[in-house]
Amino acid sequence: MSATDILADVSIIIKDVLELPDLVVTSTTSAEEVDEWDSMTHIQLISAIESKYKVRFALGELQSLKNVGDMVELIQKKLNK
Amino acid sequence: MLFNSYAFIFAFLPVALMGYFTLNHFKQITMGKYWLVAASLYFYSYWNVKNLPLLLTSIVVNYFIGHYLHKNISWKKTLFQLGLVFNIGLLCFFKYAGLVGFAQIALPLGLSFYTLQQIGFLVDSYEGLAEEKSFLDYAVFVSFFPQLISGPIVHYQMMMPQIESAENKRFKLDQFSLGLFVFCIGLTKKVLISEAFATWAKPGFDEHTTLDFLLAWKTSLSYTFQLYFDFSGYTDMAIGIGHMFNVKLPHNFNSPFKSKSVIEFWSRWHMSLSQFINTYIFTPLVRAMPKINFRNTMIATFLAMFIAGVWHGAGWTFVVYGALHGAALVVNHIRKKKKKKFPGWLSWFITFNFINITFVIFRAKTLADAGKVLIGMMGLSGVVVPKLGIKSVGALKEYGFKMGSYLYPDDYFLIIMFLGTSWVLYKFRNTSELEKTFKPDTRIAIYCGIAFVFCLFGMNRITEFIYFNF
Repeated sequence: MSATDILADVSIIIKDVLELPDLVVTSTTSAEEVDEWDSMTHIQLISAIESKYKVRFALGELQSLKNVGDMVELIQKKLNK
Repeated sequence: MLFNSYAFIFAFLPVALMGYFTLNHFKQITMGKYWLVAASLYFYSYWNVKNLPLLLTSIVVNYFIGHYLHKNISWKKTLFQLGLVFNIGLLCFFKYAGLVGFAQIALPLGLSFYTLQQIGFLVDSYEGLAEEKSFLDYAVFVSFFPQLISGPIVHYQMMMPQIESAENKRFKLDQFSLGLFVFCIGLTKKVLISEAFATWAKPGFDEHTTLDFLLAWKTSLSYTFQLYFDFSGYTDMAIGIGHMFNVKLPHNFNSPFKSKSVIEFWSRWHMSLSQFINTYIFTPLVRAMPKINFRNTMIATFLAMFIAGVWHGAGWTFVVYGALHGAALVVNHIRKKKKKKFPGWLSWFITFNFINITFVIFRAKTLADAGKVLIGMMGLSGVVVPKLGIKSVGALKEYGFKMGSYLYPDDYFLIIMFLGTSWVLYKFRNTSELEKTFKPDTRIAIYCGIAFVFCLFGMNRITEFIYFNF
């Protein structure tokens, strides 16, 4: 799966979980910039992505997932394994 | 050894740095690591060598557990659980044995921090994230003296590449000057600011039996400022020393008193602990729930914050502190979900006062002491108006206000310090922001030099950092 496809899917999930249909998600978007993206919604986001791609994130990976670009990269890495 | 001591600044730190970079210069990389570990253990033992065996045991045991977690063995899960029991057991034994009737043992210095750091390492090893390194490397990671006693809590994966990198083995003047700059900020926070507030906070908590309205607010606000400048000062110094060794430690504070909600506060205050709690306690709790929904994540939020509270110690004060913050987070999340918002200034006001009030509970030795200060803050122990030489103030007497004495020079100093530091916190960039744009020039060198000289004079009365107790 290409990074662009993953980014497209991920941005749908993010907009859905954060309940922000108008949010523009790019690979540089990060939790710091979006007020709704806090520890609570982050875990929901992670679990939504895990069930979509049938992957599992390690606990130590969760902090680095607060940036969309890193998240896409990590998903891709896991899918190619 | 304290960062804010002559022995550290003029003897230990220069020797540690010179030894490390000299060995590396002559390509004695392994010797350089031994040197760093030896220096760190000396630094640690300087307080009390009796604590050293426990630190060494913890390092050795965790290293070997980690070593086997990297192998493909059938009893991996059991080993991992044993590792958790070992670390959490140590922590609980030293922190809470006093609660269940055992004689209270003095908490070994730094135990809470190096234990958390190694729990993180075990989890990451179990999940295949932490790459295996030699015992020596592991010992450098745990014992690295800038962060050994009170954090910032670092990840193995974050530290190891920095220590390994060949590029980082040589002395870099730009990193050294950045380190000095950040260290000076930290030293100033601790010696010139926090210490001053400490003298105003202490009597109210530990000496007076009742506090009138103004004294109670003076006490609580002074402590809130003392705690921030003490802990963020310590962290700045740690980060500064890290830079001198070409190791970037994570920031722990990001202008926490600017927060407009409790959720925001915990993303700006003691950030490395918040992230640890979030990653290794909150997330597994949520994942253990049958379903990830709002209600269950709220339960996990409360529990995680509660654990973070009692991690500080065995007292009821920490139980109440953790519970209050846990409850506040839940309320905050519910309001956020319902998209309810106060105006900005009001959000800030509520948040700051909540923090200030809960810090009273955090600081007090007992709940009764906390109650004493809080009752005073509500004005229930009376209001004493200082004489200001204004006639109309005298009329207040008829409304039950007591008249006090004239303000002392010390009171004016307090007011100036309080307004001055508030203004600096509000107007100026914080350490992590300053670090990003740092360019050494004469002006900065002069400022730092002046601050440093003042600190040197202030350092004759040496006091420990608040977080050494946790």
